[in-house]
Amino acid sequence: MSGSSEVNLKQTLRKIEYPLCAQEALKKIGELLCSRSTNIKSMDLSLDLMAEFVFWESDRRGNKRSHALSPLVELELLQILFEYLNSISNEATRNTLFLNLFSPITANIRLGILSKLVSLAVGIPSANILMCASTWMQQLGNTSASSCKLAEALVFDYIHLSSNPEERLKDLSKIAPQFVANFLTAVAENYFISKKEPKYPPDALLRCITNWVSEDSNLCIAAQQRQGILPPGAIAMEATTPIAGLLRWCVLAPLNHQDQEIYSMLYLALLNSISAIPRSNPPRAINVQHLFGIVSALIIYHKEIRSRDESKMNVFLNDPAMQVALDRFSQAVQIALSVNAIYGHIDELFNSLQSLPFNKLLSIVLNKYKESKAPIIIV
Amino acid sequence: MEIDLEQSDEEFVIQKAKDAFKTDPYMAKALMLTAKSLYPNNFGVQFEAYLIEKNAGNVKEAARCFSDLISKFQQTPDLWKEIEKVTSALRSETDSDDAEKQFLCEMFKHISSDVQHKLLLFTADHCEDTMEHCRLLLLLLQRFPTAISSYGPRLVDTLMTAEKHSVDGHYPINPYRKLLVCELLPLLAKQEINLELNSKLLLKLLQKAVEYYLCYLGRSSTTLQDTESSIENTWCKLFSMVEFIGKQLGWEQYLINFNLIFTKEIYWQVILTHYQARTKNNLITDDKQLLYCLSLFFLYCLHEYNGSLSPVSSPGQTATNYLLVEAFTDPTLPNPMSEPKSKKRKSDTEIIHTTNPYISVEKPELKNIHSNFLMCVNCWDLLHSSENLHREFIKIHSHLKIDTWLSVFLIDYALYTARFDECLVSLQKITDSSLMLHKYIRLASILYIKKNYSSCLEPILLALPLLPVNNSGNLSNGLIVGGNQRHLHYLPLTRMAVLQYLTKILLRCIKENMGKHDYSELSIGHIFVLVQLDWPQEEDFVPSLLEEIKQHRSFQYHLFQNYIINVDIMEELMYLWTPQGGQIHLEILPNLSSQRRIGTRGADKGAKEEMKQAIKRQIARSNERLDDLLINFIQNERALILQALV
Repeated sequence: MSGSSEVNLKQTLRKIEYPLCAQEALKKIGELLCSRSTNIKSMDLSLDLMAEFVFWESDRRGNKRSHALSPLVELELLQILFEYLNSISNEATRNTLFLNLFSPITANIRLGILSKLVSLAVGIPSANILMCASTWMQQLGNTSASSCKLAEALVFDYIHLSSNPEERLKDLSKIAPQFVANFLTAVAENYFISKKEPKYPPDALLRCITNWVSEDSNLCIAAQQRQGILPPGAIAMEATTPIAGLLRWCVLAPLNHQDQEIYSMLYLALLNSISAIPRSNPPRAINVQHLFGIVSALIIYHKEIRSRDESKMNVFLNDPAMQVALDRFSQAVQIALSVNAIYGHIDELFNSLQSLPFNKLLSIVLNKYKESKAPIIIV
Repeated sequence: MEIDLEQSDEEFVIQKAKDAFKTDPYMAKALMLTAKSLYPNNFGVQFEAYLIEKNAGNVKEAARCFSDLISKFQQTPDLWKEIEKVTSALRSETDSDDAEKQFLCEMFKHISSDVQHKLLLFTADHCEDTMEHCRLLLLLLQRFPTAISSYGPRLVDTLMTAEKHSVDGHYPINPYRKLLVCELLPLLAKQEINLELNSKLLLKLLQKAVEYYLCYLGRSSTTLQDTESSIENTWCKLFSMVEFIGKQLGWEQYLINFNLIFTKEIYWQVILTHYQARTKNNLITDDKQLLYCLSLFFLYCLHEYNGSLSPVSSPGQTATNYLLVEAFTDPTLPNPMSEPKSKKRKSDTEIIHTTNPYISVEKPELKNIHSNFLMCVNCWDLLHSSENLHREFIKIHSHLKIDTWLSVFLIDYALYTARFDECLVSLQKITDSSLMLHKYIRLASILYIKKNYSSCLEPILLALPLLPVNNSGNLSNGLIVGGNQRHLHYLPLTRMAVLQYLTKILLRCIKENMGKHDYSELSIGHIFVLVQLDWPQEEDFVPSLLEEIKQHRSFQYHLFQNYIINVDIMEELMYLWTPQGGQIHLEILPNLSSQRRIGTRGADKGAKEEMKQAIKRQIARSNERLDDLLINFIQNERALILQALV
């Protein structure tokens, strides 16, 4: 596209009132990004168009606008974005546009709009846009800060504001399993993080998640099983499964006096999901590093208890909360190992467990692992 | 939790799971999952996991455990016991209130079809009892229709052999036959595939099915437990067997498709068209499809006919049976055969008999007896139209042992075709106590037709004690029709109608026998008694008799006081006695006549008065029950009646 036509294009768009011009701009951006001869110039132009005509971030001279969109105009913009994206039938085109609209560079400033757009897609629901969002989370990292913020926004909209979240979200895992899987990975990062005042997932969220995972034991690996179609040349990022994150909740819950039955249910659903993981070589479902995170949390807790009450050794040996935590952790490890789902340095993981108090199940699992490592022992 | 050092690791995990079930079932399940993962090759652990799921009523989980067990531990006795429980539960699926059985059936549904198949086949092959083996194979085929082509014919074979060797194999209703006919064959029929069974075997299967269902129908008609719909249903099943076997044998669609609007008339036309086409092309020899379809259709019509002879009564009413008898005609009445109504129905169905007797029924609702009979006659005649067909039918007939079905029809048919001697022979053979009334009524009727009047009285006398006690009924008004063709009637077997019929026969025997004697006052008196029952229907007998009395100027009948109570008859006789009537000498009062034998010509005033008093007494009796009177008459005066018959 020549320089003059670029100017012409902008001039034409400026004649249309905002946010109606966003619609035309989106069309143009789609053409620029997905044409066969995409070059730096057209990329730049599309970035300009987004900033000026879609998101109202800069004026005609490229300067930052001083005031934000009014809520009403923002709502109109959301509608335009939703309708336009939802109507694109080609998944590659849709994902390309979405990934560019909310690229890593701009994601931070556009996260508000993004969250509202995804929230709308959950509510409608729109499988098309949820697939975009899923791909977006995966490409930016589903445990990245942006993904976690998106998850938080959705939890706010649907768990805190909605009257009957379980009912509303019941079918989401069937409509958009990849998105739900990535959402689970992200949302897991928002709770049970060792801080001074750890946050716990609200019960409604726990119930939603438990329902999803219990109903579909393949849900946790859905994002790994089918990836979104990416723009040509893009490098696909591996999705992290929510298994380790959700397991952390279940293991740490008893230590944080979170004894609701729902954790037992979620835990069972997780174990069933793990045991249903199809064998793959090399394993890819659970990164041992993520399990380390759980072990370190256990160790910190253990040390704290010990420092608090050095004299009564027996108390923490038999600390029932710790025993439940260890029971849960060791069983998950056992089942994950039995289906060959853990990758990384597993030996190191077991070594790190040495400093934890005794647990019979854990020792059985450890022995079993040792046997499998050295199957022939001649006494 | 206490840690028991004696406990093995396996026991520890299982025990922990069992303990947890009371407090936290989710944790317990998680532990079972762990145990299974820790000890994948330990039967005890895996089986325990299964039992825990089973006891907790978790269908899906139990099914998963059970599938694992079957794939890993087929040779373990404990598992065998459980497998047996499953298969036995499956067999009693429909009629089981047992919670465990229901659970196992439900669980079976959640097992992958691969494992289901394996399970059933494996159990069947390991089964030592043939019946069990067959049931299991059947179960397999029911669940896995794809296995039918490979196991279906084998099971047919096994069942037929097993039946041959079983104790009750000679009786058509035996467990093997039931399995074969009621379960396996319908299952095979559903499959729309060619089973590649040879035609001899297929015909044998058809015979077995026919035999089974006929026997079943025969049994249900005696016990009367089955409703009409189940009988109808039985025929449907039988027809669908013909359709199935016929299809396998490549028979004509039109002959075996009973699903189309099936009326007997339409099917008869189909058969007849087929027959005519075959005859024309000289293909009639060895036409199995005609033989079987026609035979079966005949049996169906026969069954309908037999059923229509004993129609189901409306609730609260006594059921009445009907019996075909030779009835009477009166040339002075209009002939029902020449009514335009019957002319309109140009009878295609009555092709064979040109001079058919007129058949009447008691009321229009019973017309189906007549049409059922004619359809049977059609089939019967067609079955006997060619020597080959006849010979083959006799084979089927003797194989199926349908004599009891045929017995009534064959007598009816002989009567219809006026072969009375044959009727007599058949009637004499009847020994079934429930058919005795039939027997005597018909014997009387045929002996009358054969003008063997003196022999008529005996069957009548034998019939009287057998008259239905609870079914009084009414006088029939269908026993006499106009014209002079033969007339057959379906007589309702009620007390009144049978008595009426027998009385009519006796009356006519006496009347027709009068020609042998010059002037039989006894016969005339008997006739006066007998005409009373069906008065004024039989009034026409009276005038000629009165004329005869007039000619002989005297009439003696000592039974008058006992049996004549009809006012009209008494009036006529009294008139003869008066001067206007001719002053006929009447010896009807026993006392009077013996004392004043001489000089009665003179107007003896005392005698006159006595006569008037006697008549008055008789008139006072005119409301007495005529049926009792007639029965008393026939039974008490048999010697005097016989005198009138010789």
